[in-house]
Amino acid sequence: MSLIVDRNLPLRNTFSLRRKRTPSKAPSAFSETVSTITLGLPALVAFALLWEIAPRAGWINALFFPPLSQVLAVLWEMIVSGQLADHIGISLQRAAIGFLLAVVTAVPLGFLMGRYSLFEKASDFLVQTLRNTSQFALLPVFILVLGIGEASKIAITFYAAVFFLLINTIVGVKSVDPLLVKAARSMGTSDWDLFKKVIFPSAIPSIVAGARLGVKTSLFSVIAAEMLAAQSGIGYLIQNSSLMLETDCMYAGILTLTIIGLLLNYLLVAGERRATHWRGSGESGPN
Amino acid sequence: MERIAVSAVRKSFNLKPGQTVTVDGVTSSRIAVLDGVDLTIDSGEFITLVGPSGSGKSVLLDVIAGLTEATSGVARIDGVEVTKPHARTAYVFQQYALFPWRTALQNVEYALEVRGVPAAERRERAKDFLHLFGLKGFEDRFPSQLSGGMQQRVAIARALSTDPQVLLMDEPFAALDAQTRDILQSELLRIWEQIKTTVVFVTHSIDEAIYLADRVVVMTARPASVKEIVTIDLPRPRDLDIRNSEAFNAYRGRVWESLRDEVGKAQRDWTLASTYAN
Repeated sequence: MSLIVDRNLPLRNTFSLRRKRTPSKAPSAFSETVSTITLGLPALVAFALLWEIAPRAGWINALFFPPLSQVLAVLWEMIVSGQLADHIGISLQRAAIGFLLAVVTAVPLGFLMGRYSLFEKASDFLVQTLRNTSQFALLPVFILVLGIGEASKIAITFYAAVFFLLINTIVGVKSVDPLLVKAARSMGTSDWDLFKKVIFPSAIPSIVAGARLGVKTSLFSVIAAEMLAAQSGIGYLIQNSSLMLETDCMYAGILTLTIIGLLLNYLLVAGERRATHWRGSGESGPN
Repeated sequence: MERIAVSAVRKSFNLKPGQTVTVDGVTSSRIAVLDGVDLTIDSGEFITLVGPSGSGKSVLLDVIAGLTEATSGVARIDGVEVTKPHARTAYVFQQYALFPWRTALQNVEYALEVRGVPAAERRERAKDFLHLFGLKGFEDRFPSQLSGGMQQRVAIARALSTDPQVLLMDEPFAALDAQTRDILQSELLRIWEQIKTTVVFVTHSIDEAIYLADRVVVMTARPASVKEIVTIDLPRPRDLDIRNSEAFNAYRGRVWESLRDEVGKAQRDWTLASTYAN
């Protein structure tokens, strides 16, 4: 699945911590997590200290880089006032709607393309062309056609997620073991049952891996769209604070995004592990 | 009573575009795998098929299973021509073919599930069959958590759970180690003696063929037809020691005699064997 690269993400957002491959067995996964934390913590603490000390000592301009404590104080204020929750809520809502629309579109389409070669041949060229058109390049088009309201932001998240899901569904459907299909047919499985009980379950790990990437790109795309054209959402918060030179507010927004990204990633990894728990060796999908 | 009747079954496959084969100086894009197979199997009989690798034994099973159509000729079960998988036919594969996302119990249940057996009833039946194969306590294991021998036990339990009249087995023990193979052969015989279903069992092992069978069918090299049928007149129930007996030795010699030329022929054109499926 080497075709999946987060190449469309704005640079700003790519600094969120990349998850290392999760090992398979539960006990070692736990100790692995512990050692990741204990070994990884010093670097993180050093980074936080630098962020705090550098502007205070005058090494860098405090207007552009306010100390971490100041950022956290603003963040806390925004949490208490409920302002942050509103922004998070609207961003997540946009991403979720776009993502769910992508699932509903991509999974059935992927099944058809993966199963019927004629259908795939007929649609592959179009899909490849669309897939390689950046969703950000299309944002002006979405705005022209759908207006600056919710629809254009949902459209960009849909567009961002749909191809990850589509391609991984196709890969999953195609990689079904022919022997399992043969065995199922020998037991008198109907066509519908074959889809439901054999092809779909064997495609699930791949679909879930695609969904994981799709969720992330959905969220990042909505942030970018909000920076360009919105009156609410985390992206708007970051962009607007930057324009107003409220840099502490801006960093609070960026920090929020990082935390959401981290939480989402852990959630998705856990979801993926659950969906593939029957696998003896826990080969995980692409990151 | 006659259960399976295979008459004049021929099967040939189209090669992939651009591939050709040359047989006796004639170049063709089709390859003949079965060349007029005639075989009649009685109800409750245990038949083993032996033949060189790539001789089309598996294809013959697929024809009887209704998974592939014969190019000409017919296979009948109880007088009815087989055109699609028969509800009373079960198939066991060399590579187990268990659904990896289903537990052992759920795998056995599958065959009953697609037949519309109610949930409670199929769970009971599936459990009974797992227990019959000594898999009590392993119901909730996934295939990846079971040894090869256990996985094949699950697959056989799944096949038998539907109470098949015909059990087709395609080298079911070939991927197992020698000891596990011995154990499973004996288990299969023990259970078969209780249910007396009709078994068609493909194997490469002459010993396995003789030990299990009422009749050993020796196939020719591809394109395959029946070369010779050896009736195994050994008393049942059989135990593994029978393989050291005088009579068993005689059968071994006889089957090998019949098979030897065919294996030689098959080896001469083994390069061709890799160009088609199965």
